[in-house]
Amino acid sequence: MRLESWFGTLDLGEDGKVLASDQFSKNVRELALRSLSLREAGKGVPPAGFDLRSAALACGFVRSSEEYDSLLHEVTLDAAKLQISGALTPDQRIILAVEALDDVNETANVLSERLSEWYGGYFPESGLSGETLGRFVAKYGSRKNVAPEDPLYARATDSMGAELEAFDEELLKGFATSVCSLYDRRKQIEAYIESSMENIAPNLSLLAGPMLGARLISIAGSLEKLAAFPSSTVQVIGANKALFKHLRSRAPSPKHGIIFSHPLINTSPWWQRGKIARAVAAKLSLAARMDLYSGKKVPSLAEKLDAKVQQIRLQNPEAPRKKPDRGLKPKGKKKRRQ
Amino acid sequence: MPEVKTLSEGIFEITKGKKYLSTKNLDPGMTVYGEKLLSIEGSEYRTWEPRRSKLGAMVLKKFKIPLRQDSKVLYLGAASGTTVSHVSDIVSGGAVYAVEFSPRSMRDLISLVARRRNLHPILADAGKPNIYAHLVEPVDVVFQDVAQPNQAEIAARNAARYLKSDGYLLLAIKARSIDTAANPKQVFRDEIKKLEQAFEPKFEILTARDLNPYHEDHLGVLAKLKE
Ligand SMILES: C[S@@+](CC[C@H](N)C(=O)[O-])C[C@H]1O[C@@H](n2cnc3c(N)ncnc32)[C@H](O)[C@@H]1O
Repeated sequence: MRLESWFGTLDLGEDGKVLASDQFSKNVRELALRSLSLREAGKGVPPAGFDLRSAALACGFVRSSEEYDSLLHEVTLDAAKLQISGALTPDQRIILAVEALDDVNETANVLSERLSEWYGGYFPESGLSGETLGRFVAKYGSRKNVAPEDPLYARATDSMGAELEAFDEELLKGFATSVCSLYDRRKQIEAYIESSMENIAPNLSLLAGPMLGARLISIAGSLEKLAAFPSSTVQVIGANKALFKHLRSRAPSPKHGIIFSHPLINTSPWWQRGKIARAVAAKLSLAARMDLYSGKKVPSLAEKLDAKVQQIRLQNPEAPRKKPDRGLKPKGKKKRRQ
Repeated sequence: MPEVKTLSEGIFEITKGKKYLSTKNLDPGMTVYGEKLLSIEGSEYRTWEPRRSKLGAMVLKKFKIPLRQDSKVLYLGAASGTTVSHVSDIVSGGAVYAVEFSPRSMRDLISLVARRRNLHPILADAGKPNIYAHLVEPVDVVFQDVAQPNQAEIAARNAARYLKSDGYLLLAIKARSIDTAANPKQVFRDEIKKLEQAFEPKFEILTARDLNPYHEDHLGVLAKLKE
């Protein structure tokens, strides 16, 4: 019987003794690469209970047990490192970008609320918030600097806000500049995600939009995992809280997870949403599989989805009379009339 | 004067002000996860936080720990190596095959492994033990902490290939990874039954105790192969 080990190919006799061996050279990188290629080989797998260490000693590959461990240590370490460097696939890069985007968004929100609170002391009537407030403060600083042609000029001159002195103005302008740069970073990351999605998942991008598509990949863990999910799972991805509630108590199963933000679903009347969500999920699932296996964009997918949604709309034009049970109350407790 | 009491081969209880579970540091001067280093009579010990390690909790729950200085161990679910580092201390003259399938965790594990020659990292799915058949020798102990619904099956498959006939299985079972809604006690009973009957080889359970108060809804199991 012939078997493959990390240190060479062995021929075993009936009694399990090593008859002959073709040993590899003791080059760590070569051994690591061979070890990785053996993972999937499926042939020459040693029989259960085969003692690799004794065989390595018996055929003279290593002289001592310590040497066996030393060399195996280096080989497995090198192989693991090689695997890690190959593990950052394009979809994993997108996931890292999605996570960074979430952090940037959260930080931008916290800081622009802070700016709004802070600048409110000096110009409470501005009516600005978020990015526009950040740009305004970074540009003008004190409301006294607002140009006459600016639509806020009148409000700025009549404001009841305190005067912003030079010392404080520097501080606020600097802070506002930081907020603006976070919004710039957000745009940069979004552009990165859009173009990467177009490359690795053109069909998912087409049907879901690049951001929703990237989020689906991110929550699934990889494009491969997303493609392996049944479409009923795709439909509830991101609905974890509702899903756990459903499993633990008798709350109704969630109808949609983050795909709810898909325009075909969230612009539809409530009685059509469940059906449309199912149709969207089915097509997204198909799109993910096509992206994984062929990678070619198939524009007709979008038309098919639109047609399907159109059909659902035509078949369900009216709201059913009874609103579906929203299921917030556990069964058995009937609402009492007052 | 600090007092060092041996609880099991390579596992110590050190009294220095309070009691610390610990192992002798194989990599002196280095800590792995923020544990304390204690120097006593020329030896350096690393404290072992039972709340961060199911094996540590099993020691305090009075499990018989079948690890020796020269044991060979197949460790499934190595994560970033918190517990692996203590096993490496204990089997200082043996070998630990540390299997982990998350590349992210493996990245952290690698920095630990690089400093300890008795550790052999394997990035692979423990549910497919043939993948590492060209690397792993027969072992004295299979330790498994994978938090997966099919953990009993994973344990059996690995034991079938790699566990010596007189070896031991140490297993941490997390109730929530099997069924998020069911009662943990029922989950534990079902899992024990699976270990005893459902797969080949079958196990004989030697000890099964919950790991409270160190880990909630976790069961520790010590088993050997049924004759
Ligand atoms: C609870 S953690 C282990 C903690 C570790 N034993 C310790 O105490 O330091 C479970 C680990 O098992 C890994 N895991 C889960 N399923 C696995 C599988 N099929 N093969 C390999 N590793 C797996 C997970 O990635 C995770 O890192």
